[in-house]
Amino acid sequence: MTTRRPVAVLFGGRSLEHDVSVVSGLQILHAVDPELFAPMPVYIDQAMRWWVGEDLWHTEAFKGGGPDRSRLTEVTLSAGFGTSSLVPIGALPAALGTGGPIPVDVFIPVLHGTFGEDGCLQGLLELGGCAFVGCGVAASAIGMSKRLTKILAAQAGVPIVPWVSCERAVLDRGSDWLTALPAQVEASLSWPVIVKPCNLGSSAGVSTARSPEELTAGVLRVFEYDVEALIEPFITNRLELNVAVAGLDEAVASVSEMPVTAKASILSFSEKYKRQGRKSIGSSEGMAGALRVLDPDDLPIEMRADAQRYAKTVFKALGCEGISRIDFLIDVDTNTLFFNEINTLPGSLAFYLWSAAPHYWTITELLTRLIERAERLRAMKRGLQRKPPPELRLLS
Amino acid sequence: MPEFWPWMPIVTAAQAFLIWRRVLGYLRYFQQEGYEHLRFLRWANVRSLTDPAFWLAIVTAFLFLWAPTSALVLFVTGAVVLGAGQPDPRRSGKVLLKLTWRAIRVLTVAMVFALSAWIIVTSLYADAGLRAPLIAAAVVFAFLPLVLIAANLALAPYEGAVQRSYEAEAVVRVAEVHPFIVGITGSYGKSSTKAMLAHILQFDGPTLAASGSINTLMGITRHIREDLVVGHRYMVVEMGAFKTGSIRRLCQLTPPSAGLVTAVGDMHLERFGSLEEIVRAKSELAQAIPPGGWLVANADSKGALQIAKGATHCRVLLYGETSTEDLATRLENISFSKQGTSFVLRTKERTYECFTPLLGRPIILNLAGAFTLANALGVDPEIAIAAMRTLKPVSNRLEVVEERGVTWIRDAYNSNQIGFRAALEVVAAIPAARRFLATPGVIELGSTQFDVNRALSREASLVCDNTLIVADTNREAFAAGHRDEGREARLVPVTNRTEAFRWLRETLKDGDAIILENDLPDLYERTAGVFWKADSAS
Repeated sequence: MTTRRPVAVLFGGRSLEHDVSVVSGLQILHAVDPELFAPMPVYIDQAMRWWVGEDLWHTEAFKGGGPDRSRLTEVTLSAGFGTSSLVPIGALPAALGTGGPIPVDVFIPVLHGTFGEDGCLQGLLELGGCAFVGCGVAASAIGMSKRLTKILAAQAGVPIVPWVSCERAVLDRGSDWLTALPAQVEASLSWPVIVKPCNLGSSAGVSTARSPEELTAGVLRVFEYDVEALIEPFITNRLELNVAVAGLDEAVASVSEMPVTAKASILSFSEKYKRQGRKSIGSSEGMAGALRVLDPDDLPIEMRADAQRYAKTVFKALGCEGISRIDFLIDVDTNTLFFNEINTLPGSLAFYLWSAAPHYWTITELLTRLIERAERLRAMKRGLQRKPPPELRLLS
Repeated sequence: MPEFWPWMPIVTAAQAFLIWRRVLGYLRYFQQEGYEHLRFLRWANVRSLTDPAFWLAIVTAFLFLWAPTSALVLFVTGAVVLGAGQPDPRRSGKVLLKLTWRAIRVLTVAMVFALSAWIIVTSLYADAGLRAPLIAAAVVFAFLPLVLIAANLALAPYEGAVQRSYEAEAVVRVAEVHPFIVGITGSYGKSSTKAMLAHILQFDGPTLAASGSINTLMGITRHIREDLVVGHRYMVVEMGAFKTGSIRRLCQLTPPSAGLVTAVGDMHLERFGSLEEIVRAKSELAQAIPPGGWLVANADSKGALQIAKGATHCRVLLYGETSTEDLATRLENISFSKQGTSFVLRTKERTYECFTPLLGRPIILNLAGAFTLANALGVDPEIAIAAMRTLKPVSNRLEVVEERGVTWIRDAYNSNQIGFRAALEVVAAIPAARRFLATPGVIELGSTQFDVNRALSREASLVCDNTLIVADTNREAFAAGHRDEGREARLVPVTNRTEAFRWLRETLKDGDAIILENDLPDLYERTAGVFWKADSAS
């Protein structure tokens, strides 16, 4: 019998999506194959302190004021490249038995948003020479910026919605932007517009604007959350379509899903695409309260195929790993598909998209493949030449 | 007769366990009351005499006379059951006990005191044998809140030294960072004005303002040590006056470069004695502003105006709506809707059409004050106006929530008559099929309580189709008020919150609007949950 390799699932974090991360993290934790791996929860609290302990297996522990720290052990990532372990720090609980470093074979970051999904945490793991599931520093960081992702996607030939961007630095340069920005928006887009933070994944700070006043207010609202606002035309009659891509030996696209949280999207869906008498709305797995249609077969088949193709293109353009979810918008009036944004660490790792045809992968199978790929990548990176050529050897 | 051994250690263990649980339970409220003895005592009142632990000790002490062994068995099992059945304040309840170092110090000393007291009283009744620890237990449980106070008193010199060193650290930090400090004081509206001003200033430069209503020396000290960093340009500080001299002390910690005085009224009259004394206490902020600095004051409030007139060394700007003074900013044309408030701000130079999602006349007036100050500090008025659109209502402060066609105006955190009237004005202004009010009235007004509630009831009867008066504290006053207007039929007395909600669920229909006024869930929860699990009522 081989020993089970320790796998640390990291969740929590300092972003607005802390709670979503806890829910996702626990789902992943329970889905790791216990025959092959020894999964371990690692909770990163809002102060970015890392904790381990048995309580972290249960959702109940996170209700109210968060887990009882006195029953947990605070740990930190070990110093030294390639040591890949969690070292208990200070305090009493460590002295009571869980003393030494806890070796970790592979880390699975399940943190959303700032510091967790944007390359910061990934950078820390890279510095430690650790194997981890998911995107590396560059893909995470680019994926966090909607503007940079759009530029790369457009460059790869994927259709995107035009945009105007406004940086917080305008506030340092007087109030001219209060008239200049609406003028620019009127020149290149048309009302209404949607105003959203460039670097945040959730709906926080998002608003629609129908007038210059609402636009500037919307931009200020974004500046409460982010340093850059993105302004796009608001497609009134629109649908959303999401596709997940898994980075296995090659990028594999999942079936598409259509989130139908808003009443309006249900209406436009049935008006435009839904054939009579069919019933495909109503599955509600994964994220709480979200209604979605998996592989909405009322949509034209070419559109679904396009989405899958574009999703893989964006995934590859950014150099993603692990599972990303690529979100599209459909302008129902013109029947066109636009790339909207990428989530390099989607909620629940979008596992619900793989359990249907054509893949029928369980999240457990998928995680095993991703963990093993992370291990291979680590070994591959360790094997990269590190011996400096003669001209760089200055001190010997 | 049971033997002293092995019973004594068993009883001791059970007693120590139950004391530990109870001290933890009380400590949560002691911490919530900021370790202030009087406030804690006012909460504790005779609560310890309702503690089943106290009665367990009394009953077993008597039972001992007839059946000593059963009494001891009952005491030990009872102690374990009560101790284990008590909710853990670190994990359950609305406001959790946070085991800070200070809390641990109080906890430890209180445990030592409580156990010592128990042992001393036990030895005083040594003749009674094993009955003595039971009598002693009753005494200890009866006086347990006092034991916490004693522990806190014993620690006072130490805590004082710690606090002074923290304060010194904070003073150094403020000097290093050197933010432009704006002090805000007034009898009400301080916290919301602070939040609104900070919201506007943040778009001009990094701004620090404590969330909630931190306004004491200790609170601000901690806030500075934790959150003030080099790079902050503005710091907005709420300054509460508990007595003459307390604002002066705060101004030494955070010397203001500008000040804002919201309404000054007789809200804490009993604490100060007279309105003059309140004005004197609040004018310490004006005195701390350097010569040539800005002082912004609410001219609609007599007290605030008096402070402004007394401040001859600084540049004074007045704001208001009804005042006949020469105003820097005049508030005009207020109109409320479910979405928020539209209004006009008229300055000496021009007028601004404004909109904010916030509701309530006093709030909008203070927003005018924040605007005036931001303007004086050089913030672009257009940016300030745009920022007003993005203000978010604070939960339960005139917060509008639409639920299945019914408009809920949640104003549970308000507890004064001015806010009460503001809520009535809002509900009267918004379109609704029928209007309702659910409230226990306002409390802690001393001798005027009846008259104030009667007047509020009169006004409510003119606006609302039905008023639910919750609990019996102000029922008579509300009945009188409705009678004055000949609208007794509109008053619905209910015994508690749950009943009020049941009535509302059955009555409310599409298009109705309802105000929940001064209906703090905490008020109800605070009575339960100390000794046993509170009902999980909604």
